[in-house]
Amino acid sequence: MTTPALNRTAGLYLAAATLRLLLFAGFPGLPDLLTGRVELSTPVDSFKRLQEGLFLYNHNVSPYDGGVYHQAPLLLPLFSLLPDPAAYPIFTYVLYIAVDLLSAHALYQIAESGEAGASRLFKSPRRDKKWSGYAVAALFLLNPFTIATCLARPTTVFTNCAILHAVAKAIAGSTFTAVLSLSMAAYLSMYPLLLFPPLILLAYDRTHGAKSQSLLLFAGKSTAAAVVAMLLFGLSSYALTGSWEFLDSTYGIQLTLTDLTPNVGLWWYFFVEMFDSFRSFFLGVFWLHLSSYAPALCIRIRHQPLMVVTLLLGVFAIFKPYPSVADTSLFLALVPCFRYIFPLLRYSFLSASVVLYATFLGPAFYHLWIYAGSGNANFFYAITLVWSLGQSLLVSDLAFAALRDEWEVERPEMKGKQIRQI
Amino acid sequence: MPRLLSGALLARRDPRLLKIPPYLSLLLIIVGVAWLFMLPLDDYSRRTYISENALLPGQVHTYFGGSDQNVFRAYKHEITALENSTNAEANDKLESIFKGLGLKVGRQNYTYHSSGNTYAGENIYAILHAPRGDATEAIVLVAAWRNVKDEFNRNGLALALALTRYFKRWSLWSKDIIVVVPPESRAGTQAWADAYHDAHDSAKVASLPVKSGALQGAVAIDYPQEGRFEGVHVVYDGINGQLPNLDLINTFVNIASGQMGMGSAIQEMWKHTDRYNDRLKTMLRGMVNQGLGHAAGPHSSFIPYHVDAITVQPIGNGWQDEMALGRTIEGTFRSLNNLLEHLHQSFFFYLLMHKERFVSIGTYLPSAMLVAANFTIMAIHLWIQSGQRSKVATAGETDGKDGKDGADRQEQEAPSTDAVERDLYLPLGLVAGSQFLGFIPLFVFNHAPAGILTVLFYAFTAFSLLIPHVISPLLISNFKPTAQQYKLLSSFSLLLLGMFLSALATLNFSLAFLVGLLAVPLSFAYPVRNVLLKYAYALLLTLLSPGTVVSIAAAASGVGLDVVLREAAFGWTVWGMYTPLVVWCVWWPAWLVGVVVVLGRVQEDRNKEKSS
Repeated sequence: MTTPALNRTAGLYLAAATLRLLLFAGFPGLPDLLTGRVELSTPVDSFKRLQEGLFLYNHNVSPYDGGVYHQAPLLLPLFSLLPDPAAYPIFTYVLYIAVDLLSAHALYQIAESGEAGASRLFKSPRRDKKWSGYAVAALFLLNPFTIATCLARPTTVFTNCAILHAVAKAIAGSTFTAVLSLSMAAYLSMYPLLLFPPLILLAYDRTHGAKSQSLLLFAGKSTAAAVVAMLLFGLSSYALTGSWEFLDSTYGIQLTLTDLTPNVGLWWYFFVEMFDSFRSFFLGVFWLHLSSYAPALCIRIRHQPLMVVTLLLGVFAIFKPYPSVADTSLFLALVPCFRYIFPLLRYSFLSASVVLYATFLGPAFYHLWIYAGSGNANFFYAITLVWSLGQSLLVSDLAFAALRDEWEVERPEMKGKQIRQI
Repeated sequence: MPRLLSGALLARRDPRLLKIPPYLSLLLIIVGVAWLFMLPLDDYSRRTYISENALLPGQVHTYFGGSDQNVFRAYKHEITALENSTNAEANDKLESIFKGLGLKVGRQNYTYHSSGNTYAGENIYAILHAPRGDATEAIVLVAAWRNVKDEFNRNGLALALALTRYFKRWSLWSKDIIVVVPPESRAGTQAWADAYHDAHDSAKVASLPVKSGALQGAVAIDYPQEGRFEGVHVVYDGINGQLPNLDLINTFVNIASGQMGMGSAIQEMWKHTDRYNDRLKTMLRGMVNQGLGHAAGPHSSFIPYHVDAITVQPIGNGWQDEMALGRTIEGTFRSLNNLLEHLHQSFFFYLLMHKERFVSIGTYLPSAMLVAANFTIMAIHLWIQSGQRSKVATAGETDGKDGKDGADRQEQEAPSTDAVERDLYLPLGLVAGSQFLGFIPLFVFNHAPAGILTVLFYAFTAFSLLIPHVISPLLISNFKPTAQQYKLLSSFSLLLLGMFLSALATLNFSLAFLVGLLAVPLSFAYPVRNVLLKYAYALLLTLLSPGTVVSIAAAASGVGLDVVLREAAFGWTVWGMYTPLVVWCVWWPAWLVGVVVVLGRVQEDRNKEKSS
């Protein structure tokens, strides 16, 4: 890394931080407005609910009493260190901006490593066409979804930061830090548990040398480390809250979906409509569906573990129980690393337009439903379907492009030809 | 099925398919406009009907009358005596009247600043507690001192007081009745409705000292004229084109005509023949009112809070007296009193074309959506075109001919999958830049003092008419944009326009339709080669620029540009009216990009380099 590049990146970080600070300072009502939006804040990551939990925690009441707070206990001491956000909001703003910059820096390292185009088992012939870490970090930091997420201050940004750092560390070859970081993410939001298989593959590929151990042994060791890390997180949470109640309130709610507040995902409406007798069955089906992607993609795209991580993040942003725009921004952050397969994308315009349309129609329909009273829940749900459609188009298109890229290495004569199912 | 699929896959490669979208887009516009003109026909519109059975309009005896006429006359004397007193003095008197009736009274100060003017006043209101209710629901009766035309609402206020006194005697109310008396009709009710729902900015508007339950409906009386009248004019447009539930209008019209034998009118159509012409005129007037999104009366401020509200104005010379109007309002209140739940049965989205004829959203929405869809189709079309390898038209034709020979059959069957790499930065940057530029006029016109608004507006209009002529040569000399970049520029701009308009069509149909219609020439903009044609096209776009259209419309309606601009700024700051936002941040950026594209010149040499 040369000094000018470093300066340029520092300049970008400074610009991004200034932009966010300006938005915080110039529009004082904006953060609270965005915090209240269902698209940005879900029951498991809302900043408002965090305030509630913090209040109870500071008054020596269990934060999980009252059933409003569903976030990890270790966030509470962190936020109780900060001055009261209502009186001195600047400290929370600075914290969230710092987390965004940390994520961007991890992303910078991921993009600069070149892992996206050339992994241990597969080197794409197109890999020369790529964006620098600077461009990828800029796309993340200046993405309106990321900025809106930063202003709305959901705790998902901590999870996102931990996931990006886990990936960056795995690429850098420090397996233990990567596993620790992903354990932190899993502790905060649970669903990153499903990212362990591709992350272990990624770390294994990056540390692979002449006398390296077998994959099975490596995976066993990493899993053991993850289990120990998560046990430690769990025990410290127990020590902090004095009971195991947090397990039920944080992970239990994700598993059983007891809070049916609307969000941009596909679960809430489905389970609002569900008869109670079918509930547990469909919860099982939905979770099975969500978790089935991880092994399937790991096997099929074994040669490109970073692609598996990206695709899985896209799948989570669509199918996890409480998704929000923050998850989409994480997925969109990793996509530019794969600049070299963009020419193979077939529906880039379509998926971009669909996501854009949904971004504008979503709030309009939510307004019609909740405020104007002239629409109903179906309006908003229809638009969340469109939103998910746009994202799933992008995910499947990306998977197609990755597979096609691999296939063209095997079958060079088919390069540039149209394929048709026979 | 696979055969069909592969057939479809082959068909989509057909070059003829790519020629369709502009015609399709034109067709959509024509159908969209024609659709609108079909609506007044009997086959497409429906008769209104009362959907909520609980309302039972006109099914009760109304007893307002007799000695209440003397009460009315007495109150009228009191009010007339207060005509020239200050707001506070008048409210002191009203407070003593309301307290004398045994009602709880509250007062509320408000101060709004807009365009350098200050709009301040004090609202007074009284709550009549329902003898049979639990203060969870309320109906509002509004009588402002001055109506929207700034006339003294003498009879309206006296009638409201007489009605309040009369209502107090009855024990049948199951909902509280709140009488609100704002000093004027534009900011006062807004301040009151905001504060009632705790949505006010406490720096400008005071909180309400006493409150009742959820508001179920509101009726405002606007009765400045003296003497007997012929019928009533029902004003129903809310802020941002939101409308009250159709049941409320139907109930009032039904009681007025069925029980009282009184005519009613809408949209200032004093004489309505119920034929095509009058229906169309009523509908278009309704659409213009809706599209402007301004408050048409004191009732308008209630509608954003999902409180159905209307204003009633006596009109004409006839034999109806104030007692008849009082009884109609009594009947309406009795109907609202019957409601078991909030009005929800009937329509919230409708266009009225006669007091008893309407079209609902399912019938009229396609016309706005078709116009919005035309932009999206053109955006997709331009995107696909920008990815085509052969850009010169002649080359494309020869390709097609070769394909028929069979020599190139192989290539036809397995066409290349990868499109040309698109150069996105310049178009994206320009579109984003023009979108951001839109915030400048929005900010300036909402914060400039009233005195210089007109001058500023003309200056800005001249500036925005000139700026494409500056940007375009700069663009050509500095960036040498290719045909592809111009196509992408149009494509992104039209995509955004289509997206904004289709989102807007769900909130304010008329505004989306009007802006869409005025922006139609933008969807066919391309860098014209013929100089004469180029400047003719640019002239057409100049005539349809937001600044020109607003100036012409202000002059044509006879309102005056200064009034329009002041009203827009007032609406933005006080009512939360988003029409200026749509004009400056949706329409204007799209227009700017459109003119830049028309004035553009494709760099031929670079084009050839690329294709060779």
